[in-house]
Amino acid sequence: MTNRSPIAITGMGAISAIGQDVAANLNSLQQSKHGIGPITHLETFHRDRLLVGEISMNNAALYDRLGIPRTEAYTRSTLLALVAAKEAIDAAGIDLGSPLRTGIISAITVGGMDATEQYYDDYLDSDTHRHFIPTHPCGYSTEQLADYFGINGFVTTISTACSSAANAIMLGARMIKAGLLDQAIVGGTDCLSKFTINGFNSLMIYTDGHCRPFDENRNGLNLGEAAAFIVLESPKLVEERKKQPIAYLTGYGNANDAYHQTASSDDGEGAYLAMKQALEIAGLTAEDIDYVNAHGTATPNNDFAEGHALLRIFGSMDNLPDFSSTKAFTGHTLAAAGAIEAIFSVLALQHQLVFPNLNFSQPITSLGIVPQTNLKSKRISHVLSNSFGFGGNCSALIFSKADD
Amino acid sequence: MTKPIYIHGHGCISIQPTFETNYFFETVHTYAQNPIPVLDPDYKARIPPLQLRRMNKSMKMAISASKLALEEAGNVDIDAVITGTGQGCLRDSERFVETILADEAELLNPTPFIQSTHNMAAAAIALALGCKGYNMTYVNNANSFESALLDGMLYLQEHPSKTILLGGVDELGSRSPEFWNIAGYLKHGNSIIPSPMNVDSGPGEISAEGAAFFVASHQEGKQAYGKIIAVETRHKTEDAAAFINQFLQRNGLDIEAIDAVLMGNNGDVRYDGIYETVCRTLFQGIPQVGFKQVLGEYDTVVAAALMLALHMLKRQQIPKLLHMNGPQHHGLQRILLYTQRRGKNHSLILVER
Repeated sequence: MTNRSPIAITGMGAISAIGQDVAANLNSLQQSKHGIGPITHLETFHRDRLLVGEISMNNAALYDRLGIPRTEAYTRSTLLALVAAKEAIDAAGIDLGSPLRTGIISAITVGGMDATEQYYDDYLDSDTHRHFIPTHPCGYSTEQLADYFGINGFVTTISTACSSAANAIMLGARMIKAGLLDQAIVGGTDCLSKFTINGFNSLMIYTDGHCRPFDENRNGLNLGEAAAFIVLESPKLVEERKKQPIAYLTGYGNANDAYHQTASSDDGEGAYLAMKQALEIAGLTAEDIDYVNAHGTATPNNDFAEGHALLRIFGSMDNLPDFSSTKAFTGHTLAAAGAIEAIFSVLALQHQLVFPNLNFSQPITSLGIVPQTNLKSKRISHVLSNSFGFGGNCSALIFSKADD
Repeated sequence: MTKPIYIHGHGCISIQPTFETNYFFETVHTYAQNPIPVLDPDYKARIPPLQLRRMNKSMKMAISASKLALEEAGNVDIDAVITGTGQGCLRDSERFVETILADEAELLNPTPFIQSTHNMAAAAIALALGCKGYNMTYVNNANSFESALLDGMLYLQEHPSKTILLGGVDELGSRSPEFWNIAGYLKHGNSIIPSPMNVDSGPGEISAEGAAFFVASHQEGKQAYGKIIAVETRHKTEDAAAFINQFLQRNGLDIEAIDAVLMGNNGDVRYDGIYETVCRTLFQGIPQVGFKQVLGEYDTVVAAALMLALHMLKRQQIPKLLHMNGPQHHGLQRILLYTQRRGKNHSLILVER
């Protein structure tokens, strides 16, 4: 390893439109099977108009899968988070009852908005759904996770729009590195809501079909829903319990574009700074990166700015490693995006695969960069994963192969 | 453990005139309502009118409090912006929900959606200062500011030469307080500020809003208010006294080393018993100082309490109105803040002269 104290990743869990566990997600990525389709759960005007990356299980099925009585108040984002975090904790085989210092750091953008938007007027008139009122704030979801798993150590919640989960992963790593935690369950969750679908649609950055990341004719994103969590452990802890890490988190960076409320600067300054820092922390140079899992939302602005920033980091088109956005598979899953793509990055390292960028046909004229469009086997030691959000929040993570 | 951080400037907006230079709670505004909106400073003095018109309450309060903090710290360059907000930009969230419910088929105005995101205050500050550095927003109910503070201490440990802007902000919204009322959070009757303490004032809290921001670094500087030694949170605890004792132990202190304790009593009889218990078992011989009886309750009110603690250290005084119990002080070297909300989100902050 190039990094002096890499953070070990020992477990991961995911639920998204392309699979209800990590194995199913990998299978869909390998088969180029996307999860974008019509809206079926939400009652919305956009039902037959916009396409989403929806998880087929409804809330009742999620309650049952988790063994939670349907009379209790859990919003969809929390139910999804429980499914994913449970898979990650089980896979890592960590002991949550031990005296180790455990943290749970979750990312979410709109909290319990799916309940609030549904019962907004109903709460005033009837007591049927009032037990959902406390579920609105973002932190409530993470506290329910902590209670479900019996974690009474460090609990916090991050919301930096679409870069939220990358920041949750980063905080876990930094706290372990600083000796404040021994192990951390980190990730993010967001379910589909009328709030976010209408929000992105009102910004005119919601495509009328399937999103086309990095394509000259891209015209917006598809939203998706997902939850994804990974377990991070200190190098000392994995050594003590003789657990073989599945990968390492070696680099992370966070910067602000400080350019506009929603739009990225043309030269992708914030994105560039975040990637540069992540390389520095990892002790790597740009040439060491074998695959970039791009943010690639397929909005005209993001892909242009990100493409520009990638060219700046890697120096030229010739030096640009294989890159792809996997958002055409899952949709843009907002606060979960950084975590689900962290898992795709680890899968890329484990299986030595570059996952395809679907729906691409023509490069952005002014940039000329071409993503990887087919599944590709190759030697991969280091993967860079980008997550950018409203408010100029830019984050980048670097994952490295376990047995390097 | 992280190293202490020094506070070089602060700005605070609340239901008291805390934005006035040298305000120290000698006189307080009285209220008989619930919820209570902030006393607005002259936002125009620090935000250009065109931008101001578009900003929501959280953004206005956060930017104004930040600029106050920066002015006091000598307008130093800021390398990172770290904020906490329990509820986020509530009014814009409500507005966008109301628009959707009215008619989804219309072409909707995206501004309330954009400005509903929880990171908007931190983003607006970064934009206003042109700060391209580290930028984070914590949204963990009544432990949101404490998470931001912990991250700030961690960030300065990693970057010892840098200077950060750190703060908390929460706004009331319009429909949300109705929901809080239905959920039984709010006090009915007896909604008086300053709230009488030590009497049976019934259940419920008095809801308010505010923002407090700080300029912090590892450098002692010439005019630092004081330093923050440690912060710790606990989502739930059955034994608050044990939580406090362990925290003190971890910091190599015993209870005698604490010269005053700031506590989050808010007049809600359902939960103020937690403070009574720790006072009986731990803080008997120490001046006990309140803040929520004049600031009301909101998720990041502890940021305003931190400002109060720093002022107390600098002035070596306890505001008479806020001294709830215990003896007079004999010099203020070290102050402990302990607060919780609705029996959850316990937190401790240790501040030194």
